[in-house]
Amino acid sequence: MKQLTELATPFASIAENKQLVGADLVWLNDLRLQALNEFDQNGLPAKKQEDWKYTSLWALTQQEFSHNAETSKLSTSQCEQLALLKECYRVVIVDGVFSELHSQIEGLQKGLTINSLSSGLDHVQSHLGQQIDIEKSGFNALNTLLMNDGVVITVDKNIKVSKSIEILVVNTGKTDNLATHLRHVIVLDEKSEATVIEHYVALTEATSFTNVVTEVVLAENAELNHYKLQQESLNTTHIATLAAKQAAGSQWKTNSISLGAKLARNDVHTQLLGEQAHVVMDGLYLPINEQHVDFHTRIDHVVPNTTSDELFKGVIDDKAHGVFNGKVIVHKDAQKTDSNQQNHNLLLSRSCEIDSKPELEIYADDVKCAHGSTVGQMNEDHLFFLRSRGLDEVSARSLLTYAFAVEVLERIPAKDIREALSAVIEERLPQGGK
Amino acid sequence: MLEIKNLHASVDGKEILRGINLTVNAGEVHAIMGPNGAGKSTLSNVLAGRDGYEITQGTVTYKGEKLLELKAEERAQRGVFLAFQYPVEIPGVSNIYLLKAALNAVRKYQGLDDLDAIDFLTLVRSKLELVKMDEEFLHRGVNEGFSGGEKKRNEILQMALLEPSLAILDETDSGLDIDAMKTVSDGVNALRSSDRSIVMITHYQRLLDYIVPDFVHVLSNGQIVKSGDKELAKELEAKGYSWIHGAPEGQTA
Ligand SMILES: Nc1ncnc2c1ncn2[C@@H]1O[C@H](COP(=O)(O)OP(=O)(O)O)[C@@H](O)[C@H]1O
Ligand SMILES: [Mg+2]
Repeated sequence: MKQLTELATPFASIAENKQLVGADLVWLNDLRLQALNEFDQNGLPAKKQEDWKYTSLWALTQQEFSHNAETSKLSTSQCEQLALLKECYRVVIVDGVFSELHSQIEGLQKGLTINSLSSGLDHVQSHLGQQIDIEKSGFNALNTLLMNDGVVITVDKNIKVSKSIEILVVNTGKTDNLATHLRHVIVLDEKSEATVIEHYVALTEATSFTNVVTEVVLAENAELNHYKLQQESLNTTHIATLAAKQAAGSQWKTNSISLGAKLARNDVHTQLLGEQAHVVMDGLYLPINEQHVDFHTRIDHVVPNTTSDELFKGVIDDKAHGVFNGKVIVHKDAQKTDSNQQNHNLLLSRSCEIDSKPELEIYADDVKCAHGSTVGQMNEDHLFFLRSRGLDEVSARSLLTYAFAVEVLERIPAKDIREALSAVIEERLPQGGK
Repeated sequence: MLEIKNLHASVDGKEILRGINLTVNAGEVHAIMGPNGAGKSTLSNVLAGRDGYEITQGTVTYKGEKLLELKAEERAQRGVFLAFQYPVEIPGVSNIYLLKAALNAVRKYQGLDDLDAIDFLTLVRSKLELVKMDEEFLHRGVNEGFSGGEKKRNEILQMALLEPSLAILDETDSGLDIDAMKTVSDGVNALRSSDRSIVMITHYQRLLDYIVPDFVHVLSNGQIVKSGDKELAKELEAKGYSWIHGAPEGQTA
């Protein structure tokens, strides 16, 4: 057991340890050495760093973590219950380790590959690590160094994947203070289409640390619908980077829902690198108790004629703290950029807190950039209206909270995912929302 | 049905209702008229149970119960219905969901089971017809993007479905064209019955041509200053309100 801050030194030896995934691959070893170097120099982000201003890592650095999971048991029926989607290709990771037993990835359609990180590395040599920044984020460096499992998905040119793919990440709680460093890589070739949902769940309230990096590569005219549902234990620290590069005409629709974890930090980033590339970047956070959830998003409009549409909503209750920081950067050649960013927050208690900060950096002159940020409380007129129609106060409040949040879910095109996620949100509300 | 005695209500220390007396028996239709700012909406809100009013004096008895001691939802479940002067838009709550939740809340109080999906839809469809609304409106957010007239019709739709014992209509006629006014009136008239009472608040006499009241009251400066039958409304139409300003409190019905 090591404190995170002490990890750097032991990593030199871990990096040489054959047990790490892909330790025999020279190119990966080079990446890891680079990451080790960065981590040694910079360590974990400090609070004085502008983008970590509102989120303290102090508690995390005080904890000790174990990097080796004990053999865990998860019955197939348990797994079935945890899954969000019934009809799908399912890849299951149990306590940080890919589980062939629980996964349903046989008989894949032609042109689609789904592999664990260790068997999929060869497919993504040219992409792995290209979407993320290991210099600025110690967590990305750490992940690069220690990534030991995850999911690699590739879709060939012109292939439309017929079923959704669920990446189900389960923490059974068998190992106390388990730290997992997962790396997912999703690569869509030209004109291909797929739907992927990352789903993080915990069986117990065990303390753990999840550090996940998801890299998305979209070739010309590729379309990826991507969702993430984070329902980890309220004692977990969940740190995630989700980063994409989009070629011309590609479309990325992503939606991150943050429910679990004591501390959840999500960095969502895309670079629009080809004309007519389009991103819909959405998210929903509903922290309760003393949860802290932090979304930092960034959209780079690099070339002319790209569009982005971003909607993040937060419902903050009890003593919880929400952070939204949304950067939109329009580079100097990116004329005719059309971007819209909205962040709206509903505060349900007097002791909760939200820091909402849109940041627009515009270096081109012929662009359309809209943004809005609001923080409000429950509308008393709406509440009275519902009660005047016979709904008791708790139901009315729940319904209005649901109504506030549902706008984000309504933007999900796939009906099965939309309905499954709506049900999860309803369950989260007192008296089950609607 | 409803007995209001010497009702005084204030907001932020400012007295708005200054001794209202009104008795409404089952089966009666009462019209309350009065200039802007008289306290008409305040009276409706106080009866429906909106928070934020301080009742400094007086009592309200509804079907033998002390109405002012009940929560808004308890009043609704017991059959008090307020059609709002300014219906709110609630994106994210579908109309059909609202109707179902409201109906089931009332049915639950009555000791009845929830209606099943098919019976509910059949019932809602018949009410839609009454207010000439398209089924499409069921699946939109409550009043979301509705025109003024559509919002008012939606209020009447809710009323028709909930079949309240006491319906309070707060300026349901304002902002309606003649066709919409007729539709809304038909909806209200269809609900008239010997066991139901209606209190219609209106600014204009016009509505009373369509829904003929048994009694007309004039509310001015927080008091009912004059009561009469429908001829009073005609008189008001001809002379305006100024002649009754400062008049001594008239008899209540
Ligand atoms: N919430 C409130 N706070 C302060 N004053 C109010 C409030 N509601 C109503 N009033 C005042 O009370 C008076 C009566 O208002 P209202 O009942 O809306 O009149 P009406 O419906 O007859 O036009 C007005 O002078 C109005 O400004
Ligand atoms: Mg009024």
